[in-house]
Amino acid sequence: MATKSLSRRTILRGTIAGSIASVALPPLEAMLDSHGEAYACGTVPKRFGVFFWGNGYGWIGRGRPDTWTPSGTTMWTPSEQLAPLAPHVGNVSVITGLEPKTAIPSTPGGQGDGHMRGVANALSADRPRPEGFYHPDHIFALSRPTLDQVIARHPMFSAMCPTRYRSIEVSVSNNRFHDYGTWTCISYNGQESQNLPIRSVDQLFAQLFGVPVMGSRENSDRALVLDAVAADARALRARLGASDRARLEAHLEHIGEIQRNLRASAPMCMAPARPMRAGGFDGSPGDEPIADKVEAMARLLAVAMQCDLTRVFSIMFTGPGSQTVFRAVGAPSGLHQLCHENRWDIAKSATIYTMQALARVLNVFATTMDVGGRSLLDNMVMLATSEFSAGDQHEVNEFPVLLCGKGGGALRGGVHYRQPAGNLARAHLTILRALGLPYTEYGFNGAETNQPIAEVLA
Amino acid sequence: MRTVRLLAALAPVVLACNGVIRDPSTRTPPTRTDARTLTDATADTPGPVAPFEPGSLTFPRLTNSQYRNALTELFGLGLTIETTEADTNPFLFTNIGASLATVSQRGVEGWERTSRAVTQTIFADPTRRMALVGCTPDATDTCARTFLQRFLRRAWRRPAEAEELDRYVALARSTTAPDDVWSGLRYATAGALQSPNFVYRVELGVENGGRRKYTAHEMASRLAFALWDSIPDEELLAAADNNSLSTEEGVRAQAERMLRSPRARAGVRAFFVQYLGLSALDHLSRDAAQFPQMTVTLAESMRKEVELLVEDVVFTQDVDFRQLFSQRQSFINPELAQLYNVPYPAGGAGFVRVDLPESSQRGGLLTTAGILAITSHQNSTSPTARGRYVSERLRCEPVPDPPGNVQFDLGQPDGGMRLTLRERLERHRANPACSACHLITDPLGLGFENFDAIGALRTMEEGMAIDASGEINGEMFVGARALSARLATDARVARCVVKQLYRFAQGRLDAPGETAMLAQLTTRFEENGFRFKRLLVELFASEGFRFAAPPSS
Repeated sequence: MATKSLSRRTILRGTIAGSIASVALPPLEAMLDSHGEAYACGTVPKRFGVFFWGNGYGWIGRGRPDTWTPSGTTMWTPSEQLAPLAPHVGNVSVITGLEPKTAIPSTPGGQGDGHMRGVANALSADRPRPEGFYHPDHIFALSRPTLDQVIARHPMFSAMCPTRYRSIEVSVSNNRFHDYGTWTCISYNGQESQNLPIRSVDQLFAQLFGVPVMGSRENSDRALVLDAVAADARALRARLGASDRARLEAHLEHIGEIQRNLRASAPMCMAPARPMRAGGFDGSPGDEPIADKVEAMARLLAVAMQCDLTRVFSIMFTGPGSQTVFRAVGAPSGLHQLCHENRWDIAKSATIYTMQALARVLNVFATTMDVGGRSLLDNMVMLATSEFSAGDQHEVNEFPVLLCGKGGGALRGGVHYRQPAGNLARAHLTILRALGLPYTEYGFNGAETNQPIAEVLA
Repeated sequence: MRTVRLLAALAPVVLACNGVIRDPSTRTPPTRTDARTLTDATADTPGPVAPFEPGSLTFPRLTNSQYRNALTELFGLGLTIETTEADTNPFLFTNIGASLATVSQRGVEGWERTSRAVTQTIFADPTRRMALVGCTPDATDTCARTFLQRFLRRAWRRPAEAEELDRYVALARSTTAPDDVWSGLRYATAGALQSPNFVYRVELGVENGGRRKYTAHEMASRLAFALWDSIPDEELLAAADNNSLSTEEGVRAQAERMLRSPRARAGVRAFFVQYLGLSALDHLSRDAAQFPQMTVTLAESMRKEVELLVEDVVFTQDVDFRQLFSQRQSFINPELAQLYNVPYPAGGAGFVRVDLPESSQRGGLLTTAGILAITSHQNSTSPTARGRYVSERLRCEPVPDPPGNVQFDLGQPDGGMRLTLRERLERHRANPACSACHLITDPLGLGFENFDAIGALRTMEEGMAIDASGEINGEMFVGARALSARLATDARVARCVVKQLYRFAQGRLDAPGETAMLAQLTTRFEENGFRFKRLLVELFASEGFRFAAPPSS
């Protein structure tokens, strides 16, 4: 292909047309050197993603059979709840038996609340904020960045060749338990700093592909505008108290990031067709086509990653404490309520439905070709998890952990690793290692570990 | 499957509520620390009240509705304005979320994108462009300076300082394309809309006897956002320019004027929608088999009825706020008429004000389908949730969350006996682990039992006549109207709405030092016949709204 011989600069200059840029090839191909090997920014990038669902799975115990844990250790045999993942066994390692080891202080009250604590454990390897639930800021529950942001912000992950978007967050079900805190958002930059998810397919499309690539004059003028805005912010900074100053500092950082993007070359991306579905992707509150919606969103994310618009994403399929109505499996009402009504059958069916949706996401990533003849899934680590194991009792032992993708060769895939009462933070450390980040220890406030799960690493 | 549920139903109840065990013989309200709640009871703390000390400064971003309203105010209708970052509503109010949250990268990008989209629309239209700018830019800065001076004052709710004006004039100059004399002003306007001076509310006050006193312009902004959910109009800015908003009398005068504007209805609606939790109706789902009449439009109608009812009491009638609980007149459209089983007036269109029959069990806020629905489960009523709503929302008395391992399943017992929900809840309350909280909620909520989960009247459950009796303050009542009558005269209800309005207007929780202020406002509310508009004026004129504590460094 002729484009291969163009220098990166030339290609980028060619996109300055004032319209949506489109090229015939996945653009990473165009950024390979003449040997077709090296990526312009170094090696082929690895990607990280989160797939989160709420309320755990159809629980084990209290007279219920274990229909979650797979059998075997290599090329595991799916359990009933994991059956939809059968075509992807080789791409998924299942980790069972783990549990959070973070401390739960008895005072102040609220530390034990399952949903917030579960999210904090599952995604930040820490306990929730220690102030207790009454504290106003505690609504933002998390003490530190979630794993997706730890990775996205790690200098070795992206600083050499930053992407247009540091990360993209989406949510699928529109059902939210509350409209604040971890109930609406599972991606945190730190305390009180959230990355609220994009909630609609159209909005995701617009965010990734709807913005025309402007001419250089336009972009440099936009950057000049932001200079003035940043000067306003700096003038204001000294007048604020400490916490508000920190909020404005974050805003200034975001401005700098936009300017960097404007002054850098625009990434090229062939916009895919806008996803369409008869009746739309959002349905009604009691009947949401969430499996179709998550697949459509995954398709857009796949193109964005193929184009290197971003390398990190999180998908909140259903929220913590989700009241999503799984009409497709006959659920009469929201899952959270049904779990607390002891409806194990529905919790199990809803989990199977969720695993079907996850399988559709995996299909998309497995069939999206990345550079070097491998699939996107081959170059990805995606953590699929929830805030609990058992939603009926807010249990966190036997935590659900699925490591999807091959991590660019760093993950073996197909492994079932079991460590009863093992430390959940081990999964996080394993992911960091699979992505090539130099962590020797991870986990906080009782969850510290220096032991990645070697069994799942290649 | 039914058998499985039945067997499971009774046993788990015993171990259900073991997270919060209290002595069931007392009804001590939960203490502040063990109540994970969105309302609290500080105002009800007995004992001596400390002298008033103002609360902290806030630095909120504009909420989405404020952002939209502000752009509409500046440029007129017909703009496409995206929601760049969802609002969050901790402690019920988006104003509080706006004060706490850090804006994300995507939020800042959204502001950048929207500011360009809006200014492109305006500047592409010669008529709108001239209406906005008022002069044609040329090689000098004269037009740019005149326009920007005027525009920044409106957009930033204060006159720009010389340095700021210079910055934006210079920006216009440097971004003017050779072939488009308007482009520089377009960019400068877009910049003004991205500035923290626009997207945040910069209300930091000036030193005044160890406290911060909001400047006249900051007061204009505070009044406009609290009452109109938007930016100040010209008259309010003029009142700031001549410094009349630095006095209590000046604030009072402007608040009175603003209340006469139709925009005040939008602001008061914003408060009640959030206070009463009406946005739950935007994503209400009901078991389709049980409630086939439930539709998205019916949920919208439910919300609209409550909004109209509030507007009727607060503005149209301007009567005792507590009439909200007792008024038999409400607003229905054909869909609600059907749900309520009352005739829709011939010749009516859309929502019409009707008298509900004297014999009806319906009357007042708590019997609207909207409130009854948001306090129900998807497939059943919830006397517990309804009682909790009365206790927490209306009386500001928190009820702790159930423990994580709570069992909601109050399924029918084994052996074929059918029990009403009331009877099943009684069994639940017999468990000492559960009773402490359920003794707060259930006796209140059981009074609503003859309204189903979408607010339709019902008389039978499980083949038995419904008993809608309950207990409030140790006294029996029957039915929601009787409960509403008690609540109307319950001092806690008026005190609670004052507290919540204060939080809404301040964009933060009330601080302990403000207890005296809340008590004073409640007294004035009562003295003014509980008229809500009077409460708004008193609140805005109060020291609580005009002063703040200095920021912590």
